[in-house]
Amino acid sequence: MKIMPTLEGGLRIEVEDAGDWQLIKGITHDAVSCEENLANRLGNLIKDPAVAPDWREFIVPDLAEGFSADLLYVASLIAAARVEADGGPGPLWITRDDAFHWYSTLNQARLALEERFHFGPGEAIDPTALPPAVRSAFLRSQFYCAIQSLLLEYVMR
Amino acid sequence: MGGCSAARNPRSMILMADTDTLTRTRTATALDVPWNVVVHDDPVNLMGYVTWVLMKIFGYDEKKAAILMLQVHRLGRSIVWTGQREKAEFYVQQLQAHQLKTSLEKSA
Repeated sequence: MKIMPTLEGGLRIEVEDAGDWQLIKGITHDAVSCEENLANRLGNLIKDPAVAPDWREFIVPDLAEGFSADLLYVASLIAAARVEADGGPGPLWITRDDAFHWYSTLNQARLALEERFHFGPGEAIDPTALPPAVRSAFLRSQFYCAIQSLLLEYVMR
Repeated sequence: MGGCSAARNPRSMILMADTDTLTRTRTATALDVPWNVVVHDDPVNLMGYVTWVLMKIFGYDEKKAAILMLQVHRLGRSIVWTGQREKAEFYVQQLQAHQLKTSLEKSA
């Protein structure tokens, strides 16, 4: 797989085979892999009794809806590109307009993986010392992080 | 504090019928405590992203946003805004919608 900036200010992911599509599809799966959803986890940070009950009742569902909408949108883009490429080699475009949905989805995936595996700062980890399932999750998280860095550098400026 | 003017005015009392009700209004005033919007460090959100979000939501220039981001990174948290409760709640909602670990606290 290759990822490169486009002249239109977006990114192009050059998917090479079915394994790459599997990896890309994994983003949205990882994003919902945590037992407690992100909106609830963020809602738990609001502790003041004057605010917390209303936050839970009104804001948390609103946040959950927004996060879910980003996931569904990106999942539909991936599915459409995969159909277009017939599951084989083909491009996946991230336009400037779609950049934040992608960033949000990748971030949800990384936050969920962090919540499950507690990697901490990535540079302090030796992947070869991790059990296979954890190593795989760590490498996926690093891959998602690399796309986010490209989005920040080339698209969300 | 406040009382019914009719109760203090003898002329008004004379004009009132037996069945009239006197209404007394009390007004209490308390100072509105400012609230802090606090962003907490986490190992996921990239430093460039945190800076970008602070610029986008608060309209801070890049230098100010980067200073606050570095406070989050080095000290574990940073008060990124202080003020009226309703506005603080709005900002926290916006920051959480951008997936930053954000809380709200009364200013000391």
